[in-house]
Amino acid sequence: MKFFCLFIFLSLQTPLMVIGDRRLIESTCKATPSYSLCLSTLLSNPKSSSGDVSDLGLIMVGATKVKATQAIQHIKTLYRVHPELRHSLNECSQVYMAVVKADVPSAVQALDGGQPKFAEDGMADTAVEAQACERSFSGRGQKSPLTQMNKDIENVANVARAIIRMLL
Amino acid sequence: MTSSSDLENPLAASALPHSYAPLPDGEQPAGNNPTIRRPRKAALFLVSAFLVLLFVVALIAGNGPVQRKDLNTEVSLTAPEKVTPLLSRGVEKGVSEKSFHPLLGADDNSYPWSSNMLDWQRTAFHFQPKKNWMNGPVFYNGWYHLFYQYHPDAPVWGKIVWGHAVSKDLINWRHLPIAMETDQWYDEEGVWTGSATILPDGQLVVLYTGSTNESVQVQNLAYPADPSDPLLVKWVKYPGNPVLVPPPGIDSKDFRDPTTAWKTPEGKWRITIGSKINKTGISLVYDTEDFKTFELLDGLLHAVPGTGMWECVDFYPVSKQNENGLDTSVDGPGVKHVVKASMDDDRNDYYAIGTYDAHKGKWTPDNPTLDVGIGLRYDYGIYYASKTFYDQNKQRRVLWSWIKETDTEASDINKGWASLMGVPRTVVLDKKTQSNIIQWPVEEINRLRTNVTVFKDVVVEAGSIVPLNLPAASQLDIVAEFEIDEKTVNRLNGDDVGYDCVKNGGGAQRGALGPFGFSVLATEGLKEHTPVYFYVAKGVDGNLQTFFCADQSRSSTANDVDKSIYGNIVPVLKGEKLSMRILVDHSIVESFAQEGRTCITSRVYPTKTINDNARLFLFNNATATKVTASVNVWQMKSAHI
Repeated sequence: MKFFCLFIFLSLQTPLMVIGDRRLIESTCKATPSYSLCLSTLLSNPKSSSGDVSDLGLIMVGATKVKATQAIQHIKTLYRVHPELRHSLNECSQVYMAVVKADVPSAVQALDGGQPKFAEDGMADTAVEAQACERSFSGRGQKSPLTQMNKDIENVANVARAIIRMLL
Repeated sequence: MTSSSDLENPLAASALPHSYAPLPDGEQPAGNNPTIRRPRKAALFLVSAFLVLLFVVALIAGNGPVQRKDLNTEVSLTAPEKVTPLLSRGVEKGVSEKSFHPLLGADDNSYPWSSNMLDWQRTAFHFQPKKNWMNGPVFYNGWYHLFYQYHPDAPVWGKIVWGHAVSKDLINWRHLPIAMETDQWYDEEGVWTGSATILPDGQLVVLYTGSTNESVQVQNLAYPADPSDPLLVKWVKYPGNPVLVPPPGIDSKDFRDPTTAWKTPEGKWRITIGSKINKTGISLVYDTEDFKTFELLDGLLHAVPGTGMWECVDFYPVSKQNENGLDTSVDGPGVKHVVKASMDDDRNDYYAIGTYDAHKGKWTPDNPTLDVGIGLRYDYGIYYASKTFYDQNKQRRVLWSWIKETDTEASDINKGWASLMGVPRTVVLDKKTQSNIIQWPVEEINRLRTNVTVFKDVVVEAGSIVPLNLPAASQLDIVAEFEIDEKTVNRLNGDDVGYDCVKNGGGAQRGALGPFGFSVLATEGLKEHTPVYFYVAKGVDGNLQTFFCADQSRSSTANDVDKSIYGNIVPVLKGEKLSMRILVDHSIVESFAQEGRTCITSRVYPTKTINDNARLFLFNNATATKVTASVNVWQMKSAHI
């Protein structure tokens, strides 16, 4: 019985907390190129419920970092299995290292410090790096094993960029 | 033991005893052959573009404190430099091995950008620190000082410190240790842009923006630890910092980049700081007597709706009649005032000319339709966070800007550096138009000229191209005049189609009277080339409009570099010939039309047009007129950068 009451109590709390913030999230995402990607990424992070636009930008930058880090790990695996793709894979690992080691930390520092344009630069560069990775395969006449991953990173970086632009 | 009279007379400074080895006088270390490249230093990455207009432009620094080098040992090559592949190219460039080494088996050739291509991009006579954010230039005690924003940890923006370099001639530089680190709570997150003011007694004070441990933007006071040290190596931060915090109504992150101070009629010092209220860019005004306590004026210096945050605001007088520059405090009937701001929104530097009311602390533009942020730009290419300083040594006002990279971050990491400073430019009011300024490379740059090749009265027929035979084409100073055929112009029917450098098709889109100009950094066969050109359009009313553009759309076969086309209209007055000057320095091209009425800075990253493959062409892609060109092309020696 106690458990049941607690459950009801908690269910009632959550929607009330989220309604106002949800509107901010929805209106922010509407101004990005991928509304549903934006919405699902932000909502899956509990910090989004109490954040301002800068915080939402930080969440999206964080999501970009996660995807780029995953890409680097996946590239390592592919390298062992597909030595014939090593040139392109090496190029891809370099560009995603640039994203994780340079673009993302710079964007975070920039959003924290009230210099959003550097964060925008970092996310704009991330999208370009993702495209460069994809082209490294076609440029060598090879089929890319990373197409979906590259596209995802490009999309999430573009969403981050659109959010950051609202701060300028 | 310097007497105060030495401080008041900076020109006597060279007589002061000091323990620093003299800087080589403009001699470039690698001999006279402009194709010899200097050994690459650790890469610098330009981090932020904020300019602090204090000292002569500073550029980026490398990892850790810069060691004072014995410059004579840097002279080396007598043979063209060979590029040897390294296991981890990053380390030699000063990039931290643990951060950036390739994850997988090293293979230098796997990346489309070969080290040869990346090495070529480094310039020969543009100031390039490792990380390049410009602070403020100043001339003090016989030296030009440049303090720049430097990020020690990565080739991107981050926690900024102040790098420092000095020069006797604005062209050859000596790197000095970091001037200011993020060692106080009030600048823990960054020692950002600031400005220097020279007081009447010769003292130098600096106001700069610190980003506090909680990322609040505040203004701080700093001054040289030893004013008698001509190199101003050590700096002291005022113990009572911060001297200014964001005022009520101003966001804690919209308060930065204090200007050089100027005198008010009451004898106080006045500064302005850019900010914004919603989307209106504004300029706050503060008065002070001691740079420690300030009074915020009720009104703003100026504001323009819709322009967003104003960064790196600059405010200075220009003479209406004379060709010399003016000290920032000068005012009077023969003077106009320029307000400039860097627009956060679109990354361009805008300026406007107007009238300053010293009693009210207000400035009004001469032409409100060309107000700050919506009118004229210093430069129609890549040019941001620029700042001027008054060079009392040569009585000129000098403009300097940060020029970022327009390639990828991955390339910047690989090549080991990012960003540079444009060539310093003198700024004066255009006496003929009275409605714009004129910028021109400082005359010291001419000392790098050598081996001139002259082409007189070259006729370039419609739709043709003329190769200009030169010993080399990566480091050039090109000065040219063009004439189009007057009979053709008169015979032509005008139209109202209009032209826009940015939106039209660049050098390949043909009109009756243009485009014509130069293809710089071109390969034989033009697989890669960068046209810099005039496009003349005749309107229905018979009037001519001239556009000046730089076209990067075919500048490189690489896909990951910016390929925009830049440019703007350039006023051409009756009786004037069309003239342009182009400085080519590897990956940067600076173009000037009509003696500096319209300027364009471009970054170019070719893959084939490097080393001995670079060429220069004259072209005329107009359909109706022939063009007659007279050209002087100098090879440019390398400087100490």
